[in-house]
Amino acid sequence: MSEPTPVNGPLSRAGVATAEEGVVMLDGPDGVAVTMTPDAAAQTGHSLISAARAAKQQAGREAGEDV
Amino acid sequence: MFTERFLKDKRGARLEPHERALIEAAITEIRTLAPRTTVAHAGEPLDVSTLLVEGIMSRYIDDRRGLRQLVAVHVPGDFVDLHAFPLKILDHDVATMTAATVAIVPHARLEAIMHDQPELTRKLWFSTLLDAAIHRAWLFRLGRLDAVGRVAHFLSETNARLMSAGLSDGRRFALGLTQTDLSEICGLTNVHVNRVMRQLREEQLCIFRSSLVEILDPVKLAARGQFKPDYLYLDPPSPASQESQS
Repeated sequence: MSEPTPVNGPLSRAGVATAEEGVVMLDGPDGVAVTMTPDAAAQTGHSLISAARAAKQQAGREAGEDV
Repeated sequence: MFTERFLKDKRGARLEPHERALIEAAITEIRTLAPRTTVAHAGEPLDVSTLLVEGIMSRYIDDRRGLRQLVAVHVPGDFVDLHAFPLKILDHDVATMTAATVAIVPHARLEAIMHDQPELTRKLWFSTLLDAAIHRAWLFRLGRLDAVGRVAHFLSETNARLMSAGLSDGRRFALGLTQTDLSEICGLTNVHVNRVMRQLREEQLCIFRSSLVEILDPVKLAARGQFKPDYLYLDPPSPASQESQS
């Protein structure tokens, strides 16, 4: 059963990356379907991890402000 | 008869014999076109519209790097650029994908039909609204579906449209498209389409080989692509045709 997703809200399911024929394919979540060179995929990966770290800090600050 | 498939089995828009005869009489020329022939260029004034008799055609837009997005695929029976009648200038190119036979209808003849035949005019309008409904489904496909879903949706839709045109038995149909065509339809790369086709084959849903599509499980393929044929406004299949497909 699929999880309920708020309209235009952030997705909580991760996309799946696979390598084939020397390129990286990212499938999902939902409408995401892209193919990248290994370098572009690696840079995107670093950028995602960095943004995820920043977003968690933001979420932590906002939770603190609520208390 | 060149209009045999036009609005065939379309809910509430089926042509009466005299209406079909009027459109036949409006045709001034039959053209046989080679594959990959552009028949209308974006921005050029048009004074004729094209009814597709045989073959597959497309409408497309190229980006500034020359990369192509197909925005519509047409099957036999489609009045491909009927919308050019009121618009006169299109915002996209129109081309054949395969060898094709087309019937040319001058806009002056459509003008006469519009003047004298309100019910037939409504049915021509229905035809362009059907194109708009298919465009909405294509937006949904690109915006909401993953790679496998996009291809599954397109193949399910094409199967339904070709069934309506009498060119699919519900499981098998000829489709003279390349993997690159599929990638330009579904907004994917060639490699991605290659992987998707393998996945569909391994999941026993569909095989696309040598311009022949074989749908092994139409229900599961449609479910994978979230395909519901309502937007094609097809008449429900007759009990006889349902029996022949089971």
